Amino acid sequence: MKLDVLTTAAIGLALCGSALAQMEHHHEGMHHHEGAGTAKCANASLACATQATPAFAPDGTLWLAWTANGTVSVAHSRDLARTWSPPVAVNPKPLDLDWGPDSRPSIAVDKDNRVFVAFARFRNSKFDGEVLFSRSLDGGNSFAAATPITDNTESQRFQALVLDADGSLFAAWLDKRDRVPAMAHGEKYVGAGLGFAWSNDHGATFSAAKIAEDNTCECCRLGAGFAGRGRPVVAFRNVFGGTVRDHAVLTFLNPHTPGPIYRVSVDDWQTDVCPHQGPTLAISPDGTYHIVWFTEGSARKGLFYASSADGGRTFTQPMRIGDPERNPARPYLLAADRTLWLVWKEFDGKSTTVSLMTSGDGGRIWSAPRVVAHTDDASDHPLLVRNGRQVFLSWQTRAEGYRLIALENTQ
Amino acid sequence: MKRWLALALFGLVLAPTISSSAPMDDLRNFVRGSWQQLRQAHAGAPLIVHFWGVTCGPCRAEMPRWGQFLKQHPGLPLVTIDADLVPNDADAVKSMLQQSGLTKAENWMFDDDFVERLRYEIDPHWQGDIPRTLLIARDGSTTTIDGVVDFAKVSAWLNHEDKESN
Repeated sequence: MKLDVLTTAAIGLALCGSALAQMEHHHEGMHHHEGAGTAKCANASLACATQATPAFAPDGTLWLAWTANGTVSVAHSRDLARTWSPPVAVNPKPLDLDWGPDSRPSIAVDKDNRVFVAFARFRNSKFDGEVLFSRSLDGGNSFAAATPITDNTESQRFQALVLDADGSLFAAWLDKRDRVPAMAHGEKYVGAGLGFAWSNDHGATFSAAKIAEDNTCECCRLGAGFAGRGRPVVAFRNVFGGTVRDHAVLTFLNPHTPGPIYRVSVDDWQTDVCPHQGPTLAISPDGTYHIVWFTEGSARKGLFYASSADGGRTFTQPMRIGDPERNPARPYLLAADRTLWLVWKEFDGKSTTVSLMTSGDGGRIWSAPRVVAHTDDASDHPLLVRNGRQVFLSWQTRAEGYRLIALENTQ
Repeated sequence: MKRWLALALFGLVLAPTISSSAPMDDLRNFVRGSWQQLRQAHAGAPLIVHFWGVTCGPCRAEMPRWGQFLKQHPGLPLVTIDADLVPNDADAVKSMLQQSGLTKAENWMFDDDFVERLRYEIDPHWQGDIPRTLLIARDGSTTTIDGVVDFAKVSAWLNHEDKESN
């Protein structure tokens, strides 16, 4: 397959080699009970990672936080993922990390190279979680002991961590604290709440957590961005009317006041089961919201895109993304200057491909989809990351390891 | 393919848990190719395949009801497959099967992290939502039930299959 890429940078060959050797072993010995193939790739190295989240620092350094066998590690690369600094474990003692398919470590790096990391672990066998936060003030050489982002001990999972223009850190997550008063009144509490907190001291402390909205879906990732300074926007799968798991956006009126929620689309997905597939959100410089989501609703099924030019009040008619015969899923959007970039996964029964589309006019006209990467084994969700004008696909796959692939805008 | 709407049973009164001290029969590992193997082993006979997961709330509520159904229908051609969207611990799967009175069913669990491939072999359009039940008739025609089943409908299907064989 010919790939339209400028560079393909895999991690060191030694690491890849050992990952492949371990894979072969895994396929030979399937009769074990550990589940996930991680059983045979048993260390914390990037080669064993199941999720990897990238971030470019303003100085062009690529930072990567990954999850492998209960450990979140961080390393950085100054040559676009060809070579890496020695990995540093954020939690040296392995934890029962949240293994939800949409769970992943979050990483953000500010202009002074402070590195912020957040991730979730399970606190019990009932899948109640705890979001832990850590930071490095010495350029990633060491990380502070990870501490809970809130002192509430119910459940927090699926955190998003984003840096505002003034350097403030905004964290949002799915939080189940409000089920306590509900149950005390004998009421059933559906799903989770959308919790949030701010740090205005570069991650030294976080404000007391608040719940912006109750009864969101409890198992799907959040999409987060900014409508302006101090005005985060969160896209999430909500639970409408107790049973319908369609998408919503919420824009903060100011840092501490969540605005109303608006429904992105009436897909009418009635389900009591966690879809484990959350949305992706990007906000272009003109303030337009762009969202891609997955649904199995009675009104539509598949992957869809819509945009809103009025702060989420109204959205365009959903536009289908991908080939419905190939299970399109796991979308990721990025708005870079005037170009909108969208990647997602498809699967044909043997290979998983990542397709790319771009739009130069705010999502009205899109390029034809083209395949930019593929793999024949398990893979993480595809992500997009940007360094200046260059946009990259960031993708962790079992067989190939970590890949950072420079994407070309062919529109 | 007929799809019945999921019934909103999550959180309602559960069927009483059947305690079973029967030892766990083999819990088989479901890997690439297992589906074809399973279908071949049951070819020509009616078969119920129930997909569930340890982390799926509605599934946990439904499993004891399958256990009861099995008790009411000895010899029920029932296969359970733990197809959780997250990797499950085999002990947790066995424990749930035991508590539900399902140790006598043919029990499998997904054991390959390339789950897209496992699901594709079963149904190319299945995105992994559970609970999910397939009623596979003697002639191979399949009725898919998304969500918690209505056992009256499963009984009706079984009766129909039994009549077909007479």
